[in-house]
Amino acid sequence: MQPTMPVRLSAAETTLVEQLKAAGADAQAERITVAGLPSRRVESYHYTDLRTLLKAVPPLAAPANEASAPALRVPGAFQLMIANGIVQDNSTAPAGVIVGKSEGPALTLRDDMLVHINTALARESLNLNLDGKIDPIIQIDRRTEGEAAHSASSARIYLADDSEATIIETYSGSQAAHLSNHASYIALGKNARLTHITVDLSARPATHFATNEYNLGEGAQLRSLVIHAGANLSRAHVFARFAGQGSHADFTGLNLVSDGQHCDITMDINHAVPNTGSKELYKQIARGRSTAVFQGRIVVSRDAQKTDGKMMMQGLMLSDEAQILSKPELEIYADDVVCGHGSTCGQIDEEMLFYLMSRGVTKADAEVMLVRGFLEELIDPIEHDELREALASVIDQWLVGGLH
Amino acid sequence: MTTPILEIRDLHVRVEDREILKGVNLVLPAGEVHAIMGRNGSGKSTLSYVLAGKEDYEVTEGEILLNGQNVLEMEPDERAVAGLFLAFQYPVEVPGVATMTFLKAAINAQRKARGESEISTPDFMRAVKEAGAQLAIDSDMLKRPLNVGFSGGEKKRAEILQMALLKPTLCVLDETDSGLDIDALQIVSKGVNALRSPERSMLVITHYQRLLNHIVPDVVHVFSDGRIVESGDKDLALQLEARGYADYEKDVA
Repeated sequence: MQPTMPVRLSAAETTLVEQLKAAGADAQAERITVAGLPSRRVESYHYTDLRTLLKAVPPLAAPANEASAPALRVPGAFQLMIANGIVQDNSTAPAGVIVGKSEGPALTLRDDMLVHINTALARESLNLNLDGKIDPIIQIDRRTEGEAAHSASSARIYLADDSEATIIETYSGSQAAHLSNHASYIALGKNARLTHITVDLSARPATHFATNEYNLGEGAQLRSLVIHAGANLSRAHVFARFAGQGSHADFTGLNLVSDGQHCDITMDINHAVPNTGSKELYKQIARGRSTAVFQGRIVVSRDAQKTDGKMMMQGLMLSDEAQILSKPELEIYADDVVCGHGSTCGQIDEEMLFYLMSRGVTKADAEVMLVRGFLEELIDPIEHDELREALASVIDQWLVGGLH
Repeated sequence: MTTPILEIRDLHVRVEDREILKGVNLVLPAGEVHAIMGRNGSGKSTLSYVLAGKEDYEVTEGEILLNGQNVLEMEPDERAVAGLFLAFQYPVEVPGVATMTFLKAAINAQRKARGESEISTPDFMRAVKEAGAQLAIDSDMLKRPLNVGFSGGEKKRAEILQMALLKPTLCVLDETDSGLDIDALQIVSKGVNALRSPERSMLVITHYQRLLNHIVPDVVHVFSDGRIVESGDKDLALQLEARGYADYEKDVA
């Protein structure tokens, strides 16, 4: 039954409706007018109720005039920048890389409000065509600059058959209460191999939304790593479709959450064909009064026999006021699969702490050592030393704030 | 008279509502090796944890003096800096922390606390290589996360390696022989014996006499129901092996 009375819109929703109308997205504007932003009653937003969490929507972003310092330097990387949604000119692309841009958004339309908003507001997409073994790491540096702005950015990445690449996307910008909505659509051709890392390093007052959509062809190999270490409110939505037999992906992620923050990684993947595999490992560390959310859903289609899926969430609570939420789900329609999931949450292990301290390491140092050790599993499989070091520096930066 | 390395005076310890140690007295002079023998559950391991400063143990009476300094108010790391080392009965597995990284961190933490400069990487590598060779520890083992997936023997050898590198004045070995086959027992014992010196004392806690064939003690203490009930020379260990601990139990009853 349709609700007869439209919801009372918040200030944020009212602004959003105006912006969507101005962008010609009347249908989406109408949706919000009727139902509001996704609330806890929408299953995939159950722990991240945007009606209450999203307090304000700043004006739509104008092109950026200036750029802040890069949030993360990866030595030797080929740099691309999208500032306030606009694809910037780049230096000469390395062999096998064709950079372009096109009108309009990149994501597949689906029933998700943040996808709809990105689709309505992203004016252009960065196009990246990769062919062969791409030598340098590719960094897509996405910024929201200037006064507080609502910005949507989009990238479309194609890996040709048998190609191989490592891409890191970083999100940052000026110290303002931006609302950024980023999208990446990534298609992996036959036997293509990709490591794709996204790191939110936005300023604390910002709100960061990102959608990563993957499509895996036959024999494709993907490692995906999502890190939240920036905005007060962040959510990454990872969608994936295993469309070719023999494809495999490792989905990993990390919420580093401090006092006053709410970070959410939601994963929704579909094993659509037989003989594919995925391994999910998500970790969350929360200190102060904060909330970390992981939702993971693996759907195994009726034809997708011999699917091998194993999903794990591990949480580390550093304060009594922190909240770590986890909702792993398996939805299996095939009858010959191996799928499992697990979820654990705890504090720093007292036995380990005592052991390290008994060798003379101070409590503070021992705790840091244990937190780094806890996260090692996420960083260790990444092949490039420079990248591992850059990611370790993100973690170290977070640890500087003190553990409790 | 010179200050003993370790002096325990009338030590009483509770865990929750149970009194585990009921008045332990022990004087361990510099350069000596003392063994503590007793049946399971007599409180031997509790003594080792209390010495090292583990939480959850409530000292209700008594003192522990390390080189004349009361350690009861000190944190575990401060006790380590003061020269105490506990070789764990069950070394803890620490995932994600490479053994080498940890060894260097521990050495430097102690040096820093003593106001010394950090060890240089070449000096560190040399020290690890030398100590490791004696204990048949190869570099592959050191690259692995601390104690993770180590066999029983590897764990005990890694403990002695740490001991060799940290150069404590008091070594407490808690059931170091448990889980060791004969070959590993010889390697570990050899490693321990190499560390015997006039400035260093050892407290060897064990259930079986066999370890004491390899690490020959100056004094043997018999532990029963939370206190030392008899002390003697190394022959006491042999007598115990022959007649068991039952005699002491009767006294208690």
